[in-house]
Amino acid sequence: MNPTTLDAAELREIFLAVAEPNAVRALALTVSLVLVAVVLWLVRRRGLREEYTPIWMGVAFALVVVSIRLDWLHVIARAIGAWTLSSVIFFLGEVFLVAVCLSYAVRLSQADVHIKNLAQEIALLRTRMDSLDDG
Amino acid sequence: MTPVLIIPAFNEADRIATVLERVAAAGTGCQVVVVDDGSADDTAAIARRCGATVLHHPFHLGYGAALQTGYKYALENGADLVVQMDADGQHDPEAIRALMAAIHNDQFDLVVGSRFLEMTNYQMGLLRGLGRRLFSGLASLAGLQISDPTSGFQALNRRVLELYVGDFFPHDYPDVDVLVAAYRSGLRVGEIPVHMSEGTRASTLHGGFRSIYYVYKMTLSLWSAPTRVARSGAVSEDPTP
Repeated sequence: MNPTTLDAAELREIFLAVAEPNAVRALALTVSLVLVAVVLWLVRRRGLREEYTPIWMGVAFALVVVSIRLDWLHVIARAIGAWTLSSVIFFLGEVFLVAVCLSYAVRLSQADVHIKNLAQEIALLRTRMDSLDDG
Repeated sequence: MTPVLIIPAFNEADRIATVLERVAAAGTGCQVVVVDDGSADDTAAIARRCGATVLHHPFHLGYGAALQTGYKYALENGADLVVQMDADGQHDPEAIRALMAAIHNDQFDLVVGSRFLEMTNYQMGLLRGLGRRLFSGLASLAGLQISDPTSGFQALNRRVLELYVGDFFPHDYPDVDVLVAAYRSGLRVGEIPVHMSEGTRASTLHGGFRSIYYVYKMTLSLWSAPTRVARSGAVSEDPTP
């Protein structure tokens, strides 16, 4: 039997061509459904405001799409030079988490300014009330 | 309108009475406003007993936010002139008149009491000395010549007040970044010599991580403050003083 030599690109194609088991699809679908359920549950309990839900609904929707169309992940994998679909998912997950963290840091900065302004307003109003009481 | 003297204070129960007595003895003619920044001790009660108007933050916000609360109070009450000094006793109330005179004479819109314009016996550690030189250098790149960029002993007029109540004003350390912002907004920023003793606020430039963070934060603020002021709409039409 002649030994076969493969270059890196061919080896990567073999990795990418490995069929994803249906269990993975089922897992992705389950995770997306659970995510939607948790988001709706949090909204109902007022633990999450409606305006914060689109991003998580978007993630759930993306998981459904990915589980149905795994071939789209192949396109991304080839574009970014990844060897496996799992590393593509990890990469996209990291990008998403960085974006979410940045988004919340911006919101937190805005909330910080609002809290400071409110506390200052309380201090000013309290002093005005005291002077009215004294007067 | 009576000038307002703003003294931000955080857990200064041990020293605030002495500071207020020295201010009273100096006969500045200012309404004394102590901004108690959520102290856990009796700072507010002591200041009130000493005759100061006390603005009390419901929780600790930071030195800059406390100063800004004082500015907002002064602005609401029609003050044309504000002096600010620290509550730890490092600023000499005898210098308040000189600071006020520089504003009254329309020499400056904002005047900083500097430890370094004249030879004084003020001792500054190596790290703080380097920090002072760094920020003086950065300020001069922005066109502002300032010898004491971390001095909190200042006097300012209503134009500066209107600028400083904006949301760009930092919550923690408003130092050379806001001076540069004021200068870039077309306000006249100057210095007069004052004598100071060692205080505690300057300790922001002491200690490992805090000093590194301070340098980082101040450099970033220096770069961003003029843009933030412009975005808040508080900048004058001609940004060149």
